[in-house]
Amino acid sequence: MNIYVTGYGVISSIGENVEETLLALRSEKTGIKQGEKTYTERFKVGEIRWTNDELVQRFALTQDASRTALLGMIAAKEAFQGHTLDPEIRTGLISGTSVGGMDVSEIAYKGFLAGETDDLDLYRNHPSGTTSEQIAKELGIDGYVNTISTACSSAANSIMLGARMLLSGQLDRVVVGGTDGLSQFTISGFRSLMIFDDEWCRPFDETRKGLNLGEGAGFLVLETEETMKRTEKKPLAILSGWSNASDAYHQTASSPEGLGATFSMKGALAVAGLVPDDIDYINAHGTATPNNDLSESHGIKTVFGSSIPPFSSTKGYTGHTLAASGGIEAVFGILALNNGALLPNLNFKQAIEETGLVPVKNYSEGNTIKHILSNSFGFGGNNSTIILSKV
Amino acid sequence: MSDLKENLKAQIIEQLNLEDLTPADIQDDAPLFGDQGLGLDSIDALEFIVLLDSNYGIKIADPSEGKEIFQSVNTLAAYISKHQ
Amino acid sequence: MYFIQHIESITHQDSFQKENIWNELKPLAAGSELISPDYKNYIPVAALRRLSTILRMGITASKACQEKVSTEFDAISVGTALGCLTDTEKFLVTINSVSGDILSPTAFIQSTHNTISGQISLDLKNHAYNMTHTQNALSFEVALKDGLLCMDEGKKSVLVGAADEAIPFLERLRGNLIKTTHPFTSGATFLVLSDEKGNGIAHIEACDVSFSSEDTETQVARFLSSNNCTFQDLDLILEGSSVFESKAKKHVSFPDYSGYYQSASAFALHLANDWLIENKEAQTILIINNLEPDKLGLTLIRRNEVEA
Repeated sequence: MNIYVTGYGVISSIGENVEETLLALRSEKTGIKQGEKTYTERFKVGEIRWTNDELVQRFALTQDASRTALLGMIAAKEAFQGHTLDPEIRTGLISGTSVGGMDVSEIAYKGFLAGETDDLDLYRNHPSGTTSEQIAKELGIDGYVNTISTACSSAANSIMLGARMLLSGQLDRVVVGGTDGLSQFTISGFRSLMIFDDEWCRPFDETRKGLNLGEGAGFLVLETEETMKRTEKKPLAILSGWSNASDAYHQTASSPEGLGATFSMKGALAVAGLVPDDIDYINAHGTATPNNDLSESHGIKTVFGSSIPPFSSTKGYTGHTLAASGGIEAVFGILALNNGALLPNLNFKQAIEETGLVPVKNYSEGNTIKHILSNSFGFGGNNSTIILSKV
Repeated sequence: MSDLKENLKAQIIEQLNLEDLTPADIQDDAPLFGDQGLGLDSIDALEFIVLLDSNYGIKIADPSEGKEIFQSVNTLAAYISKHQ
Repeated sequence: MYFIQHIESITHQDSFQKENIWNELKPLAAGSELISPDYKNYIPVAALRRLSTILRMGITASKACQEKVSTEFDAISVGTALGCLTDTEKFLVTINSVSGDILSPTAFIQSTHNTISGQISLDLKNHAYNMTHTQNALSFEVALKDGLLCMDEGKKSVLVGAADEAIPFLERLRGNLIKTTHPFTSGATFLVLSDEKGNGIAHIEACDVSFSSEDTETQVARFLSSNNCTFQDLDLILEGSSVFESKAKKHVSFPDYSGYYQSASAFALHLANDWLIENKEAQTILIINNLEPDKLGLTLIRRNEVEA
């Protein structure tokens, strides 16, 4: 039974919807620049220019919520546009987030530490689960609402769980993806890990120094074939494969040989019933940290041997959007499928000496793209891969 | 120098939360990292950078420099003496 | 069948590695403390030094489960509502008190929600599917449902669990944000789902979740009926409050024993499992997780049939 993608929505520093995003991808224009908030101004970040209040206004949202929830609402709303709720179509929502509503609760907590009166109500937004509930409420979805929090693989895992819920017959349709807003907590956290690049990040480059953070949200609507007959929606893509595996090497570092990555890529291919040769493009996790890109490269080499398909990291466009990355990059993958596009790995100059792998350098269309593989790897050794195929 | 080393050991124990150790348990020349030593890892390497900054005002910008400096209490002490 | 092959809990009750937790159970008094095993028996000192309470509980309970079953887990599914609160708060304090550029990273690293499941996989050297669900009071149920789904997909041995830890700060949120009169507590429960009975006494019949304002009694009745069950068939109801007391042969409000933490329904499952040990006539138990408004978790447990 096929799982079809019948809706997609995205917001990131390169675009507020799918259409803008495609234009940005085509123009090879990055959304990363010097931050404009007090806690981002010293870094290059893929920031969305609007404040939370402006997001509510601009996108006609009905709830006041954390930045993570608001971004999620925007992307999920876009994905669900044109879909109608129907008691006969059991619809669920699964969202991934790493930071939840921390952008709001950290402000309240700061006041508490300073001995000021903190508005206790603000903490209502804090829990990860609440962000998904708020997104579901915005869309009118009830029933099965869930939140996956596995750091940077969260959205990919949400997509995977959604597919499995459909295949098991527990749901007929599901909105899946992920969202993360920038917060001082996250910026400071990654700073403490000393894995930022002060310049624009260079995934898979020998001289790469680290990542640029970003924010955003990406969501898909998944339906079974049965459901699609009722909703009469035109499918955008097929979600043909998925897998999750544990690297079990270290809390924050990936194994040098990319073991977890190898497992998840092989696993996804197996679910899709495909062989490595079938893959026409890999959207890599490619955060531009010294560790990830080397580890992932070895994983790719292990799985694909000597015929590595065109691959790239698109984090040079958006920055690393943490839990949202798998969702945002799934949308990119669908755009690539339907436009025959190969997406470039911005800022690349020099291949990693140890591997010699060269990613896609420029945007192009008119390529034969039938199957795309997308990686998302999170702290805790959580490795996920999804495969999207042309209808 | 030996005062510095004793202080360092206490600071290491505190910064890295090595609750079960006393300064006497850490030899001056024992490898700190890897299986042969105290078994410290890359997260500890970052904590060492914090230790140098907050206790000695020494800043290390590139974490990969740490490998050399943090080999043992001896190498650490030598680095601190040189850069204070 | 979703057999509960083994189950372990670390809570404010003396519940760890007990044949039957009901033997030691008493309603929880205010000011109770977590009853922890000596973690040094389960976790190497080098790792232990970084681990907050929730991580110690999660790893230890999981390890205790792994020691009881011979096979490696094919999947690990963990639920936590608020994750690693101690480390989250620690890092918030750090960023607000350190004026310089150099921040201690350990608390940040340990604050991620999936540190629990990640540390478990590290400790067990397990490469299988590893998932963390964070759905407020339904965190355990959605993690359990994922575990059941893994079994449906052919996995043989699945580790499912949930954990949450209390910090003093939570007291400030009592009232409007967290509506409970129970003390805030910490707890972790982990169980092994298997397609084989082993030494287990019960299996999970079904588990459902809903995020909905529909009348609870209607939802419960529908859940029971879809599982060929009525209120009369239930030998015990374990509930987050006491709304269904009147409908039960025997009723327990599980927070009376677990205290309040959002994933406490996991401990309710342990209570359910062990209740069947002494109460030999009992067959069917329902857990009604109505800890939070507009959300409902329902889990139906049945006694395994004895081989003739």
